[in-house]
Amino acid sequence: MSSGMPAQEVAAENATVSAPRESREWVWSLGLGALILGLIALVPVVGDQAALSLWTFIAMYIVLAQGWNFIGGFTGYAAFGNVAFFGVGAYTVALTLEHKQSYWLGLALGVVIAAVFAFLLGLPVLRLRGHYFAIATLGVAEALGQFTQSKSVGATAGEISLTPPSLNYHIVGKLFFYGFLGVAFVTLLGTAWLSRSRMGYALVAIRENESAAEALGIPTYWYKIGAFVLSAIPTALAGGLFAYWQLSFDPLSEGGAFDVNISVAMVLMTFLGGTGTILGPVLGAIIIEYLDQYTTFNYPGIHAPLLGGLIILVTIFLPQGIVRLVRELLRSPAGVKLSYSRRVKEGVRRVARFNISNGV
Amino acid sequence: MSHASTYPMASEPGVEGGAPILELDHVVKRFGGLSAVDDLSFAVRSGEVLGVIGPNGAGKSTVVGLVAGALSPTSGVIRFEGQDIGRLRPHQRAHLGIARTFQVAQPFAGLSMRENVVVGALFGGRAPNRAAAMRIADEVLERTGLTAKAALKGDELTVADRKRLEMARALALKPRLLLLDEVMAGLIPTEVELAVRLIREINESGVTVVVIEHIMRAIQGVSDRVLVINFGKRLTEGSPQEVLSDPKVIEAYLGERYAKNSRAQGAAPLDPTSAAAPHEEENNS
Repeated sequence: MSSGMPAQEVAAENATVSAPRESREWVWSLGLGALILGLIALVPVVGDQAALSLWTFIAMYIVLAQGWNFIGGFTGYAAFGNVAFFGVGAYTVALTLEHKQSYWLGLALGVVIAAVFAFLLGLPVLRLRGHYFAIATLGVAEALGQFTQSKSVGATAGEISLTPPSLNYHIVGKLFFYGFLGVAFVTLLGTAWLSRSRMGYALVAIRENESAAEALGIPTYWYKIGAFVLSAIPTALAGGLFAYWQLSFDPLSEGGAFDVNISVAMVLMTFLGGTGTILGPVLGAIIIEYLDQYTTFNYPGIHAPLLGGLIILVTIFLPQGIVRLVRELLRSPAGVKLSYSRRVKEGVRRVARFNISNGV
Repeated sequence: MSHASTYPMASEPGVEGGAPILELDHVVKRFGGLSAVDDLSFAVRSGEVLGVIGPNGAGKSTVVGLVAGALSPTSGVIRFEGQDIGRLRPHQRAHLGIARTFQVAQPFAGLSMRENVVVGALFGGRAPNRAAAMRIADEVLERTGLTAKAALKGDELTVADRKRLEMARALALKPRLLLLDEVMAGLIPTEVELAVRLIREINESGVTVVVIEHIMRAIQGVSDRVLVINFGKRLTEGSPQEVLSDPKVIEAYLGERYAKNSRAQGAAPLDPTSAAAPHEEENNS
């Protein structure tokens, strides 16, 4: 965005320049995120069985989008194969249960294996940049799915069918709902912590300019691998919850544990909400998953084109995502204190200019 | 500072006087068939300001890349304070105390100027925590005259401010050796004067500085010694006055015929005040 002028004008007009104060955005984001998750937590109280199922999916996608945000949002590396970690988590749980071991062991093992896998995979693929990295991760996830299918884990062709936990059906549904939501909340806290941590600074610097980051003393390679591992952990946890919640699934069909659509969804949700922000993945996951299920239910024939159209509109008019748009609208440009109405006016001009420069 | 007399013009690495902080020993860098740096040897003495000039494509920025670690040499040895650093990654060299700026400024576009500098302080500058890094950043911004613009984002800056931000970020590393790659290109004369003064102050605070420039006035005003490279090789080396009136240098810059003519007229063609001094327009798109 080339918008040097307005900021300078404002700075010149306004003689009193306040010293730059540390942004409190993270407090707002964390508070708002906790509030949103808190409201979602009321769904089992006020909603029916269908609502519970919908919001369990939404909670799962909040976790997945937040996990993707670490590598794709903060670090700016377009990982298109994060479903691999999800699948590893799911199949580890499935195999553990089939061997009559405890679910918790499976869950923990899934996270550990996915983290180690992310580390080992990161060693080669995080030497790649841009499209090469995206395609490499996409390929690895697909290969892992095919491998699972060919290995006949579970029944034939990777099909899993688990015995449900010996608890009341309604209680189980609620347990998994709160399980996903709990992981989402912890990941929200983790994201807020990351955004203020040394590591967070390193990741953002890598995203904004990797050569400069390296020249300023950041061991970029290791930080990228760290971000990849960080992104694998909640994703694998969600996979482990998914496995015992769904009970039967396979690797590659729609809704499978290695389904490429899940990778795509993580990316879309984070982009819509705002990459590299605390609140973005939460908002994006809620909006997209809700619309997806709503259109599937109400307009079954045309739900895919409807959603596709939405994605096109978002890419054209909202390329920086909801949170960044709001931030841009409210920012007082040069560290100058402005009234809110003035800020919004400036912001609208800035965003309009950004869209125009993008050819809209 | 009386530049010419402080540092006699011995040129072989480590031959005499002020211990070399940086030595390049028969360094070669090939890109395919092209030798951007071709068997280049020189030393930078601790505490000096070394100017490096040369025509377009002489290999100046390649030298910066080689010393800062963005590039690794095809052959030859690069030593920093006696240690062979030729195979170290850029971040490791930053930790040793080597800071660089980029010829085309590379700000973190989405971060404020202050955050840009905080990153430098936090990593290369080894600030123990964010609060300490912010303190360092505010000091550095003050020193480089950027305090009033600290909240501007990297992509909202003018060319001059981008260049100054490059310097500020590098300073936040608390470097021992500072490599400035054309930080004055594209600046108006008053801005150049400010930059020259800043470089002198940095040098007086104990930082060894290598200044790569095209602007003769700036090089002359700031350098203790000047190294001229052409086609990746060392052309000559000496005090600014000597180098700028050296026929070989004039020829390299302006061609043989110009050198002959000016010799006939008895003028110093690379007179810094002369408009004929070639400038390199920076491409900042």
